This record gives sequence, C-alpha cells and structure tokens, in this order.
Amino acid sequence: MKSNANVSIFTSGVKYQLKRDWNLIIFKSIFLLPALAFLVIFMYYPIEETFRLSMMRATGLGDTVFIGFDNYLRLFKNDEFIAGFINVFAWSFWSVIIQIPLAFFIAFSLSVYKNKITSPLRAVYYLANILPSAITAMLGRFIFAPRYGVIATISEKFNWTWLGKIDFLGDTNIVFWSIFTVATWAYTGFGIIYLMANIEQIPMELREAAELDGANKWQYARFIVLPMIAYPIRILAIISTIGSLKLFDLPWMLTGGGPGYSTSTLVIALYKQGFVNWQYGRGSAIGVIIFLLALIFAVTQFSLQGKEGSVK
Amino acid sequence: MNDTFLEKGVSKKHNQYSEIFITAILIILALVVILPLLLPWCFVFKTQLEFAYYPWSWPKEFKWSNFLFAWEAVRIGEGLLNTLWVCIGAILCTVPTSAMAGYIFARYRSKFTEIVFYAILAGYFVPVQMVLIPLYQLCNNLNLTNSLPGLFLPMTAFGIPFWTMIYRSFFRSLPNELAEAAWIDGAGHPGIFFRVMLPLAKPATILAVLLVFIGSWSDYLLSLIMLNDQKLFTMQLRIAQFMQSTGTHNMPRYGAAAIIAAAPTIMLYLIFQRWIIKGTLAGALKG
Repeated sequence: MKSNANVSIFTSGVKYQLKRDWNLIIFKSIFLLPALAFLVIFMYYPIEETFRLSMMRATGLGDTVFIGFDNYLRLFKNDEFIAGFINVFAWSFWSVIIQIPLAFFIAFSLSVYKNKITSPLRAVYYLANILPSAITAMLGRFIFAPRYGVIATISEKFNWTWLGKIDFLGDTNIVFWSIFTVATWAYTGFGIIYLMANIEQIPMELREAAELDGANKWQYARFIVLPMIAYPIRILAIISTIGSLKLFDLPWMLTGGGPGYSTSTLVIALYKQGFVNWQYGRGSAIGVIIFLLALIFAVTQFSLQGKEGSVK
Repeated sequence: MNDTFLEKGVSKKHNQYSEIFITAILIILALVVILPLLLPWCFVFKTQLEFAYYPWSWPKEFKWSNFLFAWEAVRIGEGLLNTLWVCIGAILCTVPTSAMAGYIFARYRSKFTEIVFYAILAGYFVPVQMVLIPLYQLCNNLNLTNSLPGLFLPMTAFGIPFWTMIYRSFFRSLPNELAEAAWIDGAGHPGIFFRVMLPLAKPATILAVLLVFIGSWSDYLLSLIMLNDQKLFTMQLRIAQFMQSTGTHNMPRYGAAAIIAAAPTIMLYLIFQRWIIKGTLAGALKG
C-alpha cells in the first residue's frame, strides 16, 4: 500500500503526495469522526437550537411560534434576569478586585520566601479548589447557618450578640457577600498556583540585579514582578469573568438565588425559566446572552494572546 | 527603605523578621483554608443536646452514631458508584477521541484539518450552561435523560475541544524520527499511532484521565437537570439533597455528612496532588 514510497509521511516535511492516497484519507476520517460526531450532536446542534428557540414562543405545552426578539425584550423587564445580570457583573468585578490581589500576594510570598514551612502550603491553598461545589456549599452553610452554624455558635460563646444577629444567608444585603466569601475561599487557589507558576518563570538574574540595586522585596514585586506578569493577570481576570457568567452551583445550593432575587445569576435565571417555568424560549434567550458575553471575553483573551505571544 | 536582601548585617536581620512575619501570615491563611474541613470534627461526636449546650467543649464520649446516620441519609455508597460510572464513561469517551483527533491535527496537517481543528477549538469557548435547555430536549429525544450516559456523553462533547488542543500540542512536540523509523519498518498509519506515538503520549494521557475524572466527579448542574430517579443520583446530587432535606438543625449530623462527603475528594487529592496541580497548570498556561 505504500507504493508512493517516501520516507517523510508527514506533510510538514517534503511534498510527497502524487496520487491520492485513499488509505490515508480513510485513516484520517476514522480518527477525526468520533470527535466531530460528539461535537456536532451534543454541542453544535444544541447551540443552533438555542438560537432558534430564543426566537420562539416555546413552552412545555402547545405549538412553538416564531415571535422574533420578543423573548429578549421581555427579559429586560424580568426582575430575576436583571438581578442575575447585575449580580454576575458585580461578582466578576469583585473577583478581580479582591481575589486576584489576594492570589498575587500569596503567590509572590510563596515564591520569594521559600522555606521548609511555606513550600508545602501551595498544595494546601489549592485543596479547596478541587472540592466539588456541592461540598463547598455544604461547608459554606456549615459556617454560615443561623443558630447552629460555626459563626453563630462562636458568637454565642462570647456573647457577641451583634454577630449572632446577622443572618448570613437570609439578609438580602449580606447574602451576596456570604456566597462571595465562600467562593473566594474555594477558588483563590487556582489564581495562586497560576500566578506562582508565572512568577517562577521570571529569570533569577532579574532578581539578583534588583538586589544589587538595593531594591527590597516589595519594590521587586512592584517594579519587576508585576509588570512581568501583567499578561497572566489579565488572563486570570478574563478567566474569572467568564467563570462569573457561568455561576450557578454555589448560589443555587446555598440560597436558591434568594432571598427574593438577591443572589440570582444568569444561569439561575436560565434554569428557572427552562426547568421550573417551562419557558424554553425565554430560557434559551438567556442562553444566547450568556454565549455572546462569553464570546466577547474569549475573543479578548485570544487577541491578548495573539498580541503578546504565549508566555510559555 | 534601604534594606536589601544581600547577605549582610542589619538588613539581613531585618529580612529575617519580615520572612517570619510573612510566613506567619501565610500559615494563618492556610489555616483559613483548611479550618472549614477540620471544624466539623469538633461537633460530630456529640448528641444534638450536648452540642446545643457545649458546642466547643471536648466531647463527653466519642459516639459514631452521627456518622452512621449521615452515611444512611446521604446513601453516599450508592452515589459513589453512580459517580464512578459517570467518570469512567467520560474518560473512555473523551480520552481516545481527543488523542486521535489531536494526533491528526498535529501530524497530518493540511488546510482541511486546520479548518476542522478551529471548528473544534471554537467549542472550547462555549459554556455548557448556555445550551442546557436544548441539550435536555435532545437527550430526552434520545432516551438519555434519567440515565448515566446522558451525563457523560454531553460532558465528553464539552471536554473534547480542550483535550484535543492539549494532545495536538503534545504530539507536535514529539520528534519525527521514531515515527519515520516505524514507517520504514513497515508500520501503517494506525500502527505508528498505536504502537509508537500513543505510548509516547503517556504523560498527556495521564493528565487527561485524571482531570476528566475530577471534572465529571465534581459535576452538579448536568446531573441536576438530567436525573430524576433517586437510584441514579450522583454523589454531588445526594449531598445537595441532604443539605436541603435534613438541613442544619442537627449540626452534629450535618457535620458528619460534610466529613463523609468531602473524604473521597480529599483522599484523591492527597494521592494525586502533584499531578492535579501540574495538569491544571499545563491547561492554564496553554489555554
């Protein structure tokens, strides 16, 4: 079968294919088909359906009717969707403001002050990150539960009534921050190991040069490390923004999006429209909005990467 | 401001203090991370009554009844089995397909394969959350809802783009000579892949197996929409259900359930910690 004998079988080498090699074509197709089949059936088709349904009046009952952009217009009058939209952006804003500096502080300290105590800590910080969200939510409630939760029992022991009075998962002004605290606990670990890996790629000579110039560690952090990892920090910001768009598990398990709509998110709004109210059309419209927002951020990430080249 | 971290005199001493100070902060932060996992142990050996009066005291006696209750309420054994099936299904579907596709994209590049590659890569940016409703309808039509394949087949589709990308860059980094030697020895295209290239890609395969496992292990949203039958509930669904139904009125039991629920993941992490961190970083630095 290898009649067109040529040593280099890879197209990256010499041009070799004179005749059409059916063997090769069949081989390629067999290797590519499973992946393509999975994507076409379980991803591309549902995406197309999401767009189609978003233009339809589609409920569990009755016919689906084309109604144009009516679903979208209704969404912007829907309190739950609006609340979810605002929460998602507040969430991503605060993640960038709070979690990334925290991650940077820990990552920098861990890589600059390397000793026997700090080295194993990296694994500890990452531990919370791999816990499934159900367990994270369970532990969050363990801390914040009224009356019997950890905070409630501590405040009872020390007679801190002001602290005992706070309803962490029931007060609309506080509940966002309770869930955000749980998420910070759970997800900062990723930022830490990601930034640490990038900080450790900075050549030692730079640090030695800074030492010779008399810079202390925080000057080194501010004037050398930060500029060098500005790009990974931006990537991290985009990753956490896209993560906020997908936010569902924690608020859903801790509060169900409530009380009221105070912890609603885009995906919670979608889930409720689709699987509680059976409003497939409106739910799909939320899906399209999530998709478009994610796309914008992904394109930003990609163009950033294109501009700066991959760091590693 | 003039302290340097050169090895001399006063500034060295100053430096030591700051090192101790920072180390202390780092330890405190690490304690914050693991405390929620340790605190349940303060409660779990007490009865509800004892807990109500002395939540923070040393338990009078070590009773394991709370664990027994929690074990039965969560029925985590059954859930563990379902979750394992989902994980195995996801691994068996994701890893070979991604390896094969990534291999073609890396080693048989042409205009056509590049187009297909970007079509697959685009899927990396699609969040599964956006397609929940049509995905549910599709699985319903295919009789996949209320079944475990209904979980791991969509998971596979949403995992393939990433792993294809990883395999592609891995296969591209392998040297050509081995494949060419096998070609001269008379191996065909599949032979080269299965006997030469795939064994060489073992590190990528280990990462893929481990991270796909963790991904499907942690899934909550897909199980929530796909499964109705209690018997099929995965571990995460059972934990969430326990949280909603039993609640926190009986904290010792709740704490025991939290410990049981977290234990499998933590054990996995303790064993594979190095690989998990390495794999996550490989993904993040490339993606």
